[in-house]
Amino acid sequence: MEFQKILVPVVGTETDIETIKLACRLAKKDKSKILAVYIIPIVHSLPLDAEVSVEVKEAEEILDSAGKIALKYGFEIETDLLQARNIGPSIIDEAVERKVDLIVMGVSYKQHFGQYSLGNVTPYVLKNAPCRVILYQQYQSE
Amino acid sequence: MYIIIIGGGRVGYYLSKALLNEGHEILLIEKNPAVCDTINDELGSVCLRGDGCEVSTLNEAGTSRADMLVAVTADDEDNLVACQLAKYKFKVPHTIARTRNPKNEELFKKLGIDVTISSTNIILEHITEEVPTHPVTHLMEIRDRGLEIVEVRVPADCPSVGRTVKDIILPTGSMLSLIVRKSQKPVVPTAATILMADDQIIAVTTSQTEEALRAALMGE
Amino acid sequence: MKVVIMGCGRVGAQLAEQLDAAGHSVIILDMNSYSFRRLPPTYKGKAIVGNGIDMEALKRAGIESAEVFVAVTQGDNRNIMAAQIAKRMFNVPRVICRIYDPLRQELFQTMGLEAISPTTIFADLLRKRIES
Repeated sequence: MEFQKILVPVVGTETDIETIKLACRLAKKDKSKILAVYIIPIVHSLPLDAEVSVEVKEAEEILDSAGKIALKYGFEIETDLLQARNIGPSIIDEAVERKVDLIVMGVSYKQHFGQYSLGNVTPYVLKNAPCRVILYQQYQSE
Repeated sequence: MYIIIIGGGRVGYYLSKALLNEGHEILLIEKNPAVCDTINDELGSVCLRGDGCEVSTLNEAGTSRADMLVAVTADDEDNLVACQLAKYKFKVPHTIARTRNPKNEELFKKLGIDVTISSTNIILEHITEEVPTHPVTHLMEIRDRGLEIVEVRVPADCPSVGRTVKDIILPTGSMLSLIVRKSQKPVVPTAATILMADDQIIAVTTSQTEEALRAALMGE
Repeated sequence: MKVVIMGCGRVGAQLAEQLDAAGHSVIILDMNSYSFRRLPPTYKGKAIVGNGIDMEALKRAGIESAEVFVAVTQGDNRNIMAAQIAKRMFNVPRVICRIYDPLRQELFQTMGLEAISPTTIFADLLRKRIES
């Protein structure tokens, strides 16, 4: 399988490193593009275009380090920084707009009220993605 | 404007849609998760799941920066409480409530809700407008002054036809402002103006003298 | 004293029974006549089927001459609305309502309603028992 454009949503956890690496492995040199996106969730008490400089700075650092990892594999990635109310729909909008043909996303092992939970972003992306999706879950050692 | 709408029923849904089209920032609060999902799928992420009468939900919705809150659930008591919370706890400048029972309009007004809309009253108004047996139609209420602008139709068999305005004894507080005639320019009535059949008279009156105004014009 | 109670649940029924036994004139209102099964056979007051947030029903229950109005239905918002009707539309001298939600209770209390939150009272009671 060959992919032209791969979208990697990053969140600032260790999983990012592996998902970026995975995207690099799936991409073809000089042919495929990798796009890392970070989405800053904006609470309703703020307007959507509020200036959240602290979050923006943090996000830029996260996207920066994603870029550095990719560079080691010989890829110069594109990055995008978005502000949104809901992460899931925002990932889908980005995938549609940028016409990506694969989304690679990380899942961290989470428990919610004592039960394993995928959260609401991953199921939303799986349900609504306009392209293929690969999920990567980090192994959680004790 | 940032507008919060409580209640994702049909009214809430179409209202959100229309206001989004006008470029407003909209957040719809709805209790039922399935309804929320459908609305979010259709209108984009505009629906927050929660009870619009709970302070925590209204906090999450950022109600203190809202310009307006519109409560359109099916229950009058919920609409009242949502608007009162918005108004008195979150200082929202404009609150609009829907009521099922038209008698609640007065109560809601007394309790500080800016605008109360009763679909029953709206339909009633249209019925009285359409049915010629009821000659006085309410056009507008001048807020907090007790004044009303009404339209009175003069039927052909009415004794006032052919009389001048000065011959008609109007109750105090009532005033004829305009006469609209078929295929003619509207006339500002003077003492000498003669009333004709099918005249539409626009008059200012008070709620107390409205009936007396009707009687005077109908020649009763 | 003439007391109108809205809501014939456990609390409403018990209050009606007690006030009635103490010789007060009691009228209890509920949307469902089945709720009146909670009233004892000895109850001498009135029981009326009606919606307590409907002004006509409140009039039928004699709210215009009531000295006290108590709203104890299951719905916080219904109690809040009924209490405000009693106070603002019928000028009942004493109006008390139950509001389970402590936050709403606090707000409407500051807005001039005599509101009681059983949630707060019961949690406090439990805490005191546990700590004593």
